[in-house]
Amino acid sequence: MNQYARMIIVLMIISIASGAVLALSYEITNPTIQEQARQKLEQSVLTVIPGATKMEEIQKEDMIVYIGLDDEGNKKGISFEATGSGFNGPIEIMVGYNPIEGNLLAIEILSMSETPGLGAKIKEEAFTSQFKGKSSEEEFAVKEDVQAISGATISSTAVANAIKTSLDKIVKIYPVGGDL
Amino acid sequence: MQIIKDFVNGLWNENPIFRMVIGICSALAVTTAANNGIAMGLALTFVLTCSSILVSLLRNVIPSKVRIPCYIIVVATFTTVVDLFMKAYFPALYEVLGIFIPLIVVNCIVLARAEAFASKVGVARATADALGMGLGYTWAITLISMIRELLGAGTLFGYQVMGDGFTPWISAILPPGAFIVMGILVGLINMINRKTVKDTDCH
Amino acid sequence: MAKELFFIIVGSVFVNNFVLSRFLGQCPFLGVSGKTETAVGMGMATTFVLTMTAVAAYFLQNYVLAPFGLEPFLQIVSFILVIASLVQLVEMVVLKISPALYNAFGIFLPLITTNCIVMGAALLIPMNNYNLIKSIALGLGAGIGFTLALALMSGIREDLEFADVPEALRGPAIVFITAGLLSMIFMGFTGLVPLG
Repeated sequence: MNQYARMIIVLMIISIASGAVLALSYEITNPTIQEQARQKLEQSVLTVIPGATKMEEIQKEDMIVYIGLDDEGNKKGISFEATGSGFNGPIEIMVGYNPIEGNLLAIEILSMSETPGLGAKIKEEAFTSQFKGKSSEEEFAVKEDVQAISGATISSTAVANAIKTSLDKIVKIYPVGGDL
Repeated sequence: MQIIKDFVNGLWNENPIFRMVIGICSALAVTTAANNGIAMGLALTFVLTCSSILVSLLRNVIPSKVRIPCYIIVVATFTTVVDLFMKAYFPALYEVLGIFIPLIVVNCIVLARAEAFASKVGVARATADALGMGLGYTWAITLISMIRELLGAGTLFGYQVMGDGFTPWISAILPPGAFIVMGILVGLINMINRKTVKDTDCH
Repeated sequence: MAKELFFIIVGSVFVNNFVLSRFLGQCPFLGVSGKTETAVGMGMATTFVLTMTAVAAYFLQNYVLAPFGLEPFLQIVSFILVIASLVQLVEMVVLKISPALYNAFGIFLPLITTNCIVMGAALLIPMNNYNLIKSIALGLGAGIGFTLALALMSGIREDLEFADVPEALRGPAIVFITAGLLSMIFMGFTGLVPLG
């Protein structure tokens, strides 16, 4: 067998074996990965809508809205994801909202890569709790109606702006005072 | 005993981080908390050991002209396996380690051991060497991350160890802290060994 | 759009320098930062490969991996193979077109495959959902940031040769400590780019 044929055959066998191993690992892990993602999503929806025990996912225009329901099936509020550009990359936020009152229920930071010890503090209760009860009519201007984390104005602004942008879209879909 | 020698080699004499100074990207980037250090170390040890075993087994089969592409495919495959399993079973850690799990594929330690050692010796020696190198890497980055976590957050493995009066030195978990802690540790180990590493082994 | 591109480039060169803040490309940063001339050569070769890789990664991700649902398990393998082939290709083309250029930075090319800055930048593109232009900006910014860090470090190291460094700290140790100080300086760029 000449050496080129051997090279090609060896490379092909290795590639095929690699493909088989990868496909197999993917088959094994994929259900768990999907399940983890779903659980994480549900967990965060239930966190930002107090009183909700299960969720329903619906598509409204270009937004995906999660409706939080309690045990009796009463609608407790809605939630949606907001994305902003932080200091080191995207920040994803889950926002709970009560369209009847027109105010925020709670927020949770889903993912971010801000600087540890500074921007990463946006994840902490001290920062996120200030959004509770905020009206959709407020400006969400940092250092005015939103308290910025000292040394991390960019991260704080990114969160405030991301919430405001998505909230404005949601208010158009669910006008304040209207039904859920 | 050659095998024991091969194993111990990576732990101290040719420790990839402190003595050979290779594969430092992840050692600097993920070492903000001790847990991350251990997780990253074990992930790398897995890829390194599996790749070394396979490269050693195939050393007489792979033609030398295409050996590098073959090694790359082998390493990339095991990296993806770790990537998928971590995503499925340790999602919180996976998120913190970020792109540094997929970046194991270009970690100098893995390719260097495959090329310089595993492709020349039998499976037993290749395994011993890979385990030694992997664990040498693991203890090194766990030490770095413990120091950084202790100084920067006052905790160890997430438990508060510093008293209330301790003000965290945040710089330690920021990028400059990584470089400085690393530099001081390399210097200390040079002193203990009474032999200074003059240059890094990877360019 | 122009504003966002500017932010990506300034962000990857200064605010989040790929070497001093994201810790990518440490090996060449330590290994070839001894002389300014070689450092700049390495930087330029890497910038070139990075920009081409960004384009390749963008097309591979959006036209092959994502449409066929291969992304979760073929991304790493395909990216590394594309980078390796690209580097090989660049090497051959440069040798053919301009032997002078090849002599200037050809020797650095084979080392670039295992430079994690290239793979890192490639992985960041799908992660941030960048379009083609933004991908190119990221590749270019990463390259310029890498070159800048290498050039600065080599300048300092040339002077360090004459400094009385304690025996134990000579070699990589003092380079790490110097890098820490450089990294601290680069933290001063924090907030330079207003995002969001």
